[in-house]
Parts: sequence; structure tokens; C-alpha cells
Amino acid sequence: MDQFEVQIVGLARLVMLAMVPYVLASQGTMLGGRTGLFSVSQEGIMLVGASVGFLGAYLYDSLIYGILLALFVGGLFGLALAYFTTTLKMNQFVIGLALVFFGVGLSTLLPKLAIGVTLQPPLIPTLKSVPIPILRGIPILGPILFNQNLLVYFAILLSFFLYYLLYKTSIGLELRSVGENPKAADSLGVNVSRMRYVTAIVGGMLMGLAGAYLPMVYTGTFTQGMVQGRGWISIALTFFGGWSPLPILLGSLFFAGVEVLALRVQIGAFGVPYQFLLTLPYIATILVMIFASRRLRPPAFLGQNYDRERRTLA
Amino acid sequence: MSEQATGLGHGVASLVKGLIPYLLAVVASFIAAGIFIAAMGFDVLHAYSTILFTSFKTPYGFIQTLLKFVPLLLQALAFTVPLIAGKYNIGGEGQLIVGAIGATAVGIMLAGLPLPLLLPLVLLAGIVFGGFWAAIPAWLLYRFGINEILTTVMMNFISFSLIDYVATEIWRDPAAGHPTTVPIGVGGELPLLVARPPLNSGIVLALAVAILVYVYASRTPGGYELVASGANPRASRVFGINVRRMFLLSLILGGALAGLSGAIEVTGVQHRLIEGLQSNFLLLGIIIGLISRGNLLAVPFVAFFIAVLEVGASAMQRTMMIPVEMVLIVEALVLLFVLLSDVVRRR
Repeated sequence: MDQFEVQIVGLARLVMLAMVPYVLASQGTMLGGRTGLFSVSQEGIMLVGASVGFLGAYLYDSLIYGILLALFVGGLFGLALAYFTTTLKMNQFVIGLALVFFGVGLSTLLPKLAIGVTLQPPLIPTLKSVPIPILRGIPILGPILFNQNLLVYFAILLSFFLYYLLYKTSIGLELRSVGENPKAADSLGVNVSRMRYVTAIVGGMLMGLAGAYLPMVYTGTFTQGMVQGRGWISIALTFFGGWSPLPILLGSLFFAGVEVLALRVQIGAFGVPYQFLLTLPYIATILVMIFASRRLRPPAFLGQNYDRERRTLA
Repeated sequence: MSEQATGLGHGVASLVKGLIPYLLAVVASFIAAGIFIAAMGFDVLHAYSTILFTSFKTPYGFIQTLLKFVPLLLQALAFTVPLIAGKYNIGGEGQLIVGAIGATAVGIMLAGLPLPLLLPLVLLAGIVFGGFWAAIPAWLLYRFGINEILTTVMMNFISFSLIDYVATEIWRDPAAGHPTTVPIGVGGELPLLVARPPLNSGIVLALAVAILVYVYASRTPGGYELVASGANPRASRVFGINVRRMFLLSLILGGALAGLSGAIEVTGVQHRLIEGLQSNFLLLGIIIGLISRGNLLAVPFVAFFIAVLEVGASAMQRTMMIPVEMVLIVEALVLLFVLLSDVVRRR
């Protein structure tokens, strides 16, 4: 490989790495949204996931514990969202925001309580690459696609699995019907609130995992506010992906590309002040929302609670 | 006469009745957080007396609380005004920052002007810049129907880059270690109400604005349309109210209020632009707005309560080593319990 090829492959690998948190958080958002439950807690849940993921890995000296803890706590947040909105019929945005506050508070509180303030940042090892035999030998694509950490593979497989689940199985059909017309789904015997609980919990777990990925791949430690808007961007990404698993995977690739462009290419590039390059992901988010608002349709019942005793929808 | 008296009595009774869920929520959240604090091995009573009474023990503590109260009140209003119209402004942070940038820009560029000219211009710049920063997501909502939660948040992140650029490239103060601009002209500084410890007149401004906003929302036709748009957009539309325009207006008004809070931080407290001046005012402003449930009369009282908690929490961290984030959990719990009281009442 010549120098140019090495650079391109290097950048493409970074994009694949950066894609994972977007994929996980957006698929989590999509799952809940497809049943009508619109979570806006991503940023908070990802922060908590990053915090407890780091703590679990640090205190028990194993990344697996960190991942399990992040999944568990993320699931708890999802459960809380489902309970307050589906059972108690409280406003989804308000509860979602309240959960963001809990997430922001807990994420900095827990490391302070568990570790305290240290001179050197406490470090965990980062996730190792696990090359796939044979496939890794493919020129160019091999190092980009098949020599990555396990969560990269997981994010891609998850997207295909969710596509299969949603569009090729009867459970998927029921799930989608809940977000489009819960009354009709209910009358056909679909358990609307159970569907919402399950997707909210699984969605929360994915968001928690998305957060835990950040210290495990990028920094090796938890820092305040380290999610840096990725949670919010995931909401836009979900709209951009038309609430559908495979377009969301592609959209994540796009946002990961913008992130790599903003964060890694910033020094001295194009003579533009680096502060303006840093705004690229956020400007891209707004542009993408304009596109999505014109071309794509979110689930019809998105953001609304379903009360089976009321006669009319909305 | 007697009718008036019973009317007054009824008013007091309903006020007390309205306060009960708040008090219960505060007690419940203090108990819940207290269990957590005790489990961590800290002295709960000492922690709570520090949180609640630091503001009232010394003049310094009280003035600290008032200084915190000003941005919290304005941020809470910046969230609450759109909330009344049914819209969520999560962009108060960016609007504060851009308002502060506008105020600083005018304060530096026109530094030679005397106070009666410069101060109003600086404050106005904050209001206009903050309103402009909110106008972008407001327009996107108006024109394309794009969810305002997302776009207002994105504008926050963009503003972080903007303030960094202004404080490190345009008006950088080379003597400061942290990204900071040179000071604004002396004529742009808010006069002091109390000399020592210093209390600037921003609090008078903030309270006056709070009253104006209340009067607007409850006593004018425009305010009536605002409330109606939030309460029942469909009926309002039938009634001939341009609901989408009210959404637009409410968000811009919110941005102007947040921009004013940025201008007051510059003219009253720092006299220059410092990166990070927004603190966590956005988060607390939203909590205050949600705890007040959109009631503009309740906002100043809740904001004061939260300011007391915040000042107490810093003292608690200094003297007892309990992390200051603990109080954010307490505040989120208060919010949750207040919201839950609605559910209980509905049944």
C-alpha cells in the first residue's frame, strides 16, 4: 500500500470506530419510537452509561463488568421512562428531560463517590481489536471492516437483526403497528403497554452501552460531559434514518464521518479556524432535520401516550 | 364586604392548597436523598442544615444567593414562556452565551461611551443577540415543522465554539490563563446596589422583567393568544389565532430573556466575557420552569429556592466533602415528586 492508501484506510477505520455510539443510541431511540415512545433522554443515559461503564471496568478490573453495568443502568432508565409515561401517563418530553437531569447529576456524582478526586485520571484499558480470520486479509476492506473491536461488529449485526425483526417477523409487525395506531393494535390483541416497556428497556440498554463505549474506546477514563451532544444528535439521526434500522446504520456512518472530519482533521486544515470545524456535526444535524422533515415520516403516534379507555386518538 | 372577605379567604385557602404538593415534594425528595447521603456515611442533618441555611447566616451568603438568583430566574423564564405556548426551549444556554457575546462586543467596541448611553446599548445587544439565536430554531419550526428540542440544543453546541473563537481570537486578553476577553468599557457596568459584598442592580432588572412577562401573559391579548396556543392549539386555530406564529414568537421571546441573562452576567458580574460563564444555569432553569409547571407567578419563588440550594450545596462540598452534584439529584427528585403529585390528584 502506498502512503495515500494507508491514510485513507486509517481514516475509514476511525469512521467505523466513531460510528458505534451513534448506531447503538439511534437504534435504541428507533425501537422506542416505533411503539410511540419518544425518548429524549439519550444524552443523560449515555452519560450515566459512560460513568458506570468506566467505574465497573475500573473497580472490577474488567471491561465486561463495565459493559454489563452500563446495560443494567441504561435499562433501569428505560424502565423508568416506560413506567412514568405508559403506566402513569405523564408527558414524555418532561419525563425524558427529568431523566437527563438525573443522568447528568449521577454521571459526575458516582465517580466522585466511588473513586474520589485523584491527581492522575484513573485509567481503564481500551477495547482491543479482534481481527476476523481470513476476512481480515481482504485488501483495503479487511483492515477497515474486519479488524475492529467487538462492539463495531455488534453494532452492524444489531442493525441487520433489527431490520429482520421489524420487517420479517410477526412480532415486528405488531411492534410497528403500536406506534402507528395503538387503538387498532390493541383491538387485535397486541399488548400495547408491554410492547412499550420492552422497547423502552432495550432502548435504554443500548443507550447505556453507547455511553460506555466512549471511555472504553476513546479516553480510558470518564470526564464530565464527555458525550458532547452525541445523544441529541442520535435523535436527529433517527429522524434522518426514517425510523428504520438500515438507513440509520448508513446515517450513523455519515455522522461518524462528520465527527472524524471535525475532530481529527481540525489542525490547520483549509485555513478555517478549528472552532468552526468543531460545529460541523451540529450544523449537519440541523441540515439533516430539514431534509427529514420534507422527505420522511416518523411513526404516526410518536410522542403520545395511549389510554385504552379514551375513545379518540390524539 | 363580607363577600370580599370570603373571596380573600378562599384565595388564601386555594394558595395553601396549591402549596401542599410542593412542600410534600420537597420533604419527600429530602428524605429520599437523605437515605442516600446517610448510606454514603455522611451526617445528614448537618448536610441539610448547611444546604438550607448557608444563604441566611451571613450577608455574604445572602448576596451570593441573590447573584445566583438573577440568571436562574431569567433562564427559567426563557424556558417557561415557550412552555406556556407548548414549546420546549432547551437552548437557553446558547442564547445566554450569544447574548453575552453581543453585550461584550458592544461594550468593547463602544467602550468610550458614557454610562447612560453604553449600558442600555449593551443590555439591548444581549437581548437582540439572544433573541436572534433563538430565532433560528424558531424559524426552522415555523417553516419546516422541525422539533425545537433538537435544534435549540444544537444551537447550544454551536455557541460553545463561537464563544471560544471570540475569547481566544478576536478580543483575547493575553494576561488571562483561561479564554477571556478584554474588559468592556466602564460605562457598560451595572451600578452596584450594595458595595460590600458587591451586589449589582441586575436583580432589579430581572424582577422588573419577571413582572412584565407576567403582565404580558395574563393581562394582554397577545399573552392570551400565547396561553391559548399552548392550552389547545386546535381550538385556537379555529378561533383564528395564528398558532404557528405564536410558537415562533414565544421561542424568540425566550431567547431574548436568556440573552438578557447573558448580558447581566457580563455587565454586572464579570465585566468581560469568560468562557464557561453559562455554568449550569440552563439545566436549573429548566428544572425551575418544570417545577413551576408553567406558572409565571411561581417561577421567582422556585428560582429563589433553587438558588438557596445551590449556594448551600457549594458550602456543603467545601465543609463536608459531599460532592456538589448531590444537590442536582435532590432537585431532580423535587421535580419528579411535583410531577407525581399531578398524577395522584388526577385519580
